[in-house]
Amino acid sequence: MSRAMRFWYRGVMIEVHDLVYEYPSQRALWGVSLSVQPQTITALVGPNGAGKTTLLRCLAALEPPYGGQVAIDGLDSRSAPREIHSKLGYLPDFYGLYDELSVRRCLTYAAWSHGIKPDAAAAAVETAARRVGLSDRLEARASELSRGLRQRLAIGQSIVHSPKVLLLDEPAAGLDPQARKELSTLLLALKGEGMTIVVSSHILAELEDYCSEMIILERGRVVGGKPIVVRKDDRPRYLIELATPRADLGEFLRSNGATDVIEVSDMRALIAFTHNLGARAKLVRDLVTAGFDVARFGESTRALEDAYFAQVAHEAAQ
Amino acid sequence: MNPEFRRNLWLELTPRRAILMAVILALIFVAVALSGGKDYLPSSAAETLYYLIVVFWGSRNAALSVVGEIRDRTWDSQRLSSITPGAMTWGKLFGATIYNWFGGAICLALMFAYTLSHHGTAAAVIDLFYFLEIGVIAQAAAMLASLAAVNRGQKHSRFEIFLYQLAGLLAALAVFYVWQAADPEGMARLGAPLTDTIVWWGQPFPPRGFLLVSLALFTAWVLVGCYREMRTELKMPNGSLVWLGFLVFIGLYIAGFDAWLSQDSQMADWNPVALRLALAATTFCVLTYIMVLLEPKDRVQFRWLGSQVRGGHLARAFSGMQAFMLSYFATAICTVALIFWLNTLRSEAASDQALVGSALGFLTRDVGLFVLVQTWARRRSDFSTLAILLALYILIPAILDGLGIKQAMFVFYPQATTPLWLAPVVAWTEAAGVWILTVSRLAISDREPLGQAA
Repeated sequence: MSRAMRFWYRGVMIEVHDLVYEYPSQRALWGVSLSVQPQTITALVGPNGAGKTTLLRCLAALEPPYGGQVAIDGLDSRSAPREIHSKLGYLPDFYGLYDELSVRRCLTYAAWSHGIKPDAAAAAVETAARRVGLSDRLEARASELSRGLRQRLAIGQSIVHSPKVLLLDEPAAGLDPQARKELSTLLLALKGEGMTIVVSSHILAELEDYCSEMIILERGRVVGGKPIVVRKDDRPRYLIELATPRADLGEFLRSNGATDVIEVSDMRALIAFTHNLGARAKLVRDLVTAGFDVARFGESTRALEDAYFAQVAHEAAQ
Repeated sequence: MNPEFRRNLWLELTPRRAILMAVILALIFVAVALSGGKDYLPSSAAETLYYLIVVFWGSRNAALSVVGEIRDRTWDSQRLSSITPGAMTWGKLFGATIYNWFGGAICLALMFAYTLSHHGTAAAVIDLFYFLEIGVIAQAAAMLASLAAVNRGQKHSRFEIFLYQLAGLLAALAVFYVWQAADPEGMARLGAPLTDTIVWWGQPFPPRGFLLVSLALFTAWVLVGCYREMRTELKMPNGSLVWLGFLVFIGLYIAGFDAWLSQDSQMADWNPVALRLALAATTFCVLTYIMVLLEPKDRVQFRWLGSQVRGGHLARAFSGMQAFMLSYFATAICTVALIFWLNTLRSEAASDQALVGSALGFLTRDVGLFVLVQTWARRRSDFSTLAILLALYILIPAILDGLGIKQAMFVFYPQATTPLWLAPVVAWTEAAGVWILTVSRLAISDREPLGQAA
């Protein structure tokens, strides 16, 4: 990659430009362009067959693009696929495990195969096992694990070498609520440690807890042409619901300079607002003082879903 | 230790399995010793078991070493690992078959001890070399076949896995034949004429030494082939030099057997240079057909090559050329050299020259057909091409022959014509037609995207 391109990619962990991918009988990706910032968790959403898995495989440098470019941490997927592999952790939607090996041996093999020296492998295995909550099952065989624990082991294998980028294809599929909660906690912790994570799913609710950005893929194209920021840690989304309808709710909120109104109706408003407790208390107080019959004020748990349908509706209107 | 080899050790050579193998083999040897009589000794049983365990079963395990990972959905994580292609190749080749080698080692030990005590050290060492050789080449050939199929994006049904295993078994059969041929007694057993020398490049060589060295060289090339296919799977560029090196090796190797051809009445008046050029050209031609059938015919790769040639980046274009392209160019160079050489030899060489020229034209047409059909029918395109070639070379000529129109055969395969120039002109016209269609199809498919993803 030329110096100029390295400069262009600087500060962006994943850069995709006009990516086209074709299977023998059909085109799966039609000029996809996107960029993902470091230390973010990006949701890759879309209906089944939208091209999510194909895009992830292109990002993982497992499939060469028919056209366009993919760069991971400044490395081009065509010219430096092995260098990209060393920076990646990838969990496919249908993954396999070595069922006859113990959890410790599965993780040890993953560590060795990612170039971790034998004397450092034991520590890496312990760390990965702790991260995915398998420290107490290191001697169990993979075939003896439940579905949720197998998923954790697969993720553990993907992160044992502390990759810069983690690509997860439908990681929560088939997990029970408790396992999903643990997955969410794990991903947030990995993000906190500096990892850039892309998670694909066709179920938005799975991604609500941890994704801050969203790429909507439909029929091999990015809807809206770019990723959507759905949540900022310093400005979460809040849902306000009134017991009595008021037509001036939007006007009132917009008059408050610190509030970004995302959606509003007579009964309900979705806003982005500061995380500061005092500021939130003041906003509620102002609403009540202004005679709004506030029945609910709380952080929105459907940020992705709201943003998804807003974007899809916007696209349809155009 | 190689992580891939270590993982295979964990999975394949567990203490329980090792004990099971050792006990069963020991029981068989004891049973044969007690009831086999003088004709079937434990060492004979060990030889049979070695072929079964290392060659037959081992080639299947080698074929499954990558295909099994794909089937069990663990291959992607291996491709994303930092294991080098070389380490992955030997880790899989000897790791996936480690259980077979364990059993084989027990059999070998028994055979070695028997040969040592009855025929001396030299015979024991040579036998040991042969048995190791046949095991390695069978397994490596099966692995090479499976890797070539993986790179082509083949499905891996039980039948296809059997075909990969069959490739290994055929390689083993070739080694077996060569070994028998290297042994004067073995030659007699095979019904082949007894010979005490092999003439190569005009020099006589003792058969056993010559064939064993040849065997070692071919095994090395099969291993190099596995390594290159593994590099492709791991998305590493291969370059063209290794295949070029193989072409030089195989061209020189086969060309050295000109003494075998010189007895052919049609070529009786050809001198050694012409015979050697003909042998090399035929070898390259066969390799072209094999490689154009086996290699993926990727439009992206063709487009990239075209852009490099148009941009004048010939060195880069050369490094990206596929094996079938290099083989074709090698065939063309040798064929053109042969045509010129024949001209200097005899005044009446025109008939041979016309035949050789039309053969090159048909090869050019057929290579174009493989690429052209791929642009039409992306699924099973190679089978379609083979069907077309079957029709062109066999079915239609057979029908014409039945109808008594024998004079039109030169349209379908190289044949002498009057006037002499007619056969090569027709062959090259067909080649030009196919290639014009092919290039225009590639250009169209480049401009027009395929159907929408589901």
